[in-house]
Amino acid sequence: MQVAIKWINDQGGIKVGDTVYKLDLKYYDDESKKETVQSLVERLATVDKVKFVLAPYSSGLTLAAAPIAEKYGVLMNSHGGASDYIFEQGYYYVVQTLSPASKYQTGFLDMVHKLDPNAKRLALVYEDKEFSRAVHQAAKKYAEELGFEIVYEKTYPAGTSDLSPILNELKATNPDVIIGGGHFADGQLLASQLAELKIDVKAISILVAPALPAFYEALGTNAEGICAPAQWEVGVKYSPDVAKELGFEWYGPTQDEFMKLFKEIAGEDKTPSYHAAEAAAVLSYAKAIEKAQSLDPAKVREAMNDLGFMCVYGMWKIDPETGKQAGHEMVIIQWQGGEKKIVWPTAAANSDPCYPIPSWDEKSAGKICGT
Amino acid sequence: MRRYKPLLPVFAIYVILLIIGATTPGLWQPIMFIMFYIGIGVALNNFLGLTGYVDFGYVAFLAMGAYGMAVALNYFTELGFGAVALGFFLALLFSALLCIAVGGVALRLRGAYFAIATIGVNEGLRYLIEGARIWGGSEGIVLSGKLRKAFGPDFANYLSTFVADVCLIIVIFVASVITIYLINSRVGYALLALREDEDAAKVVGINVTKYKLIAFFTSAAIGSLIGASAWTLKLTYVFPEDVFFIHYTVEAIVIVMLGGAGTLLGPVISGLIYGALKYYLSVILPGFQLLAFAPLLIIIVVAFPDGIVGYVRKKLRGKSLFEYIR
Repeated sequence: MQVAIKWINDQGGIKVGDTVYKLDLKYYDDESKKETVQSLVERLATVDKVKFVLAPYSSGLTLAAAPIAEKYGVLMNSHGGASDYIFEQGYYYVVQTLSPASKYQTGFLDMVHKLDPNAKRLALVYEDKEFSRAVHQAAKKYAEELGFEIVYEKTYPAGTSDLSPILNELKATNPDVIIGGGHFADGQLLASQLAELKIDVKAISILVAPALPAFYEALGTNAEGICAPAQWEVGVKYSPDVAKELGFEWYGPTQDEFMKLFKEIAGEDKTPSYHAAEAAAVLSYAKAIEKAQSLDPAKVREAMNDLGFMCVYGMWKIDPETGKQAGHEMVIIQWQGGEKKIVWPTAAANSDPCYPIPSWDEKSAGKICGT
Repeated sequence: MRRYKPLLPVFAIYVILLIIGATTPGLWQPIMFIMFYIGIGVALNNFLGLTGYVDFGYVAFLAMGAYGMAVALNYFTELGFGAVALGFFLALLFSALLCIAVGGVALRLRGAYFAIATIGVNEGLRYLIEGARIWGGSEGIVLSGKLRKAFGPDFANYLSTFVADVCLIIVIFVASVITIYLINSRVGYALLALREDEDAAKVVGINVTKYKLIAFFTSAAIGSLIGASAWTLKLTYVFPEDVFFIHYTVEAIVIVMLGGAGTLLGPVISGLIYGALKYYLSVILPGFQLLAFAPLLIIIVVAFPDGIVGYVRKKLRGKSLFEYIR
């Protein structure tokens, strides 16, 4: 957030008519508790007279804050709530910057479909939690539209320590592609037990876990070729040139500027991750305010309806009716030669996808992607 | 009427808080936030304070209340305000059912065993709901959209930003009256005896199981009404991991102990202190409030081992104010 705010202020702030506004950030700690969120949003809206709120982290909290935001007519932009259901409740003053849960695994399916239209047998194994359920239900529907055949689907409860009964069943269905996961621990378990049971498939995408460096540290070469969806990743290729090619407007700092400002603000040893989405949320406000030429949340919300731009984070465009993010695409990362590479979408990719991935036997013999 | 004099300072605190909330812009939600903490303190005090039994699964009663309201609003939306009334009824019903289950099994246990058994009930119930996919399972019940469609966005907002608060306030007023009634009645004396020495109480002929169950049901019923109004009605959604979160039990226990277990005024004062500190620390020291909170609580607990009200009562013994403080 601070990066985007600094960038906008360094560029001279936001011009509305003849007045130039500088951005200022006001924040409170909600402890991730639903009661606290409501009090603090009310405080922002009344005591601090804030008109544009960056919504709390997590979908539940965003939903808790929504009635209060609507009551005071302040706009809320969600960079930490990816669930679709927030935007299906009919709140007009809530918009989304993150890609919704329903799009988490669809990019991966697109990629596989494009690389190998014959890989049709899809298996789903995921955690029984609200979020992963939403992700995979949507992925399943999308897969069927693409012509995949769902050969296996099973959930496991949160905190599971052994997936082998499920995976043995899965093995018998002989899938080409596996998607699944939920959080870090179970995602890692899924990958390592797939390796133990030597279930060879052409492509695997797991929620959350592979996107973290600890995944490779734990699995070593077994992690090779495993994919994960991410909202954003250091090294994405979105740039003013890409934007021009695709016919979109570019707004905000470039990747290099973003990294430089981030290091200045957060310190050298930190790596940005969700920060890009936060920056995009701030940028979208700035852009919409300038477009509306007004600080009235209602007018700004209206201006957002046909706003579309590209920034470090990728595309930003909402569905006018629900406020759901429709422009941004999840990037798909894949472990290749011990490095996290971005392989999808093509506009963001910094490497070609490794497909089909090496078998577990080949991997334990030291084969890695890209060789 | 003399016995009900201690209600005076309690009601005075409620009324002053509500006036502050209603007249100062931006303070209504924070006041309701404080009222929520007062509420869970008063509710749990009717059991923990009066019997000395530590129920670590207390939040399950709030959860039952939350689900009762959610089920009513979700499946009987067309009843309008009737659905809200039905929600309160279901809240009471669900919590009573849970009471029978827990009371039948766990109330036979004492001390640490009781505490552990109640944690088990709390977690077990949560996994039952998630695993068996009851009432939406892990996806919970999200009501906002449904309410907005059925009642229109304005009325739905009114329901969750005003009606829910009024319900909570009524519940808390009633809860305090119930507490003073219990303390002053035969039930209160029996509970006092059993809290100090359960075996001795049994020997002198007190039916301890009966009185424990009375306290348990009362406390659970109030808890479920708080869950129904402060959670479901106000937040318009219920997620199992959210409503069975053991943190709320711990907070309620802290509030009861801090204020003075078994007193009328205790949970009100400490709920007020706890809620206000929590709110202002998260405003003044965002990110550090929990760090500042812990030492503060430790200091208060060390300085007032009998709770704040216990300490004040000791100081006031023999003075005219004494009869107002219970």
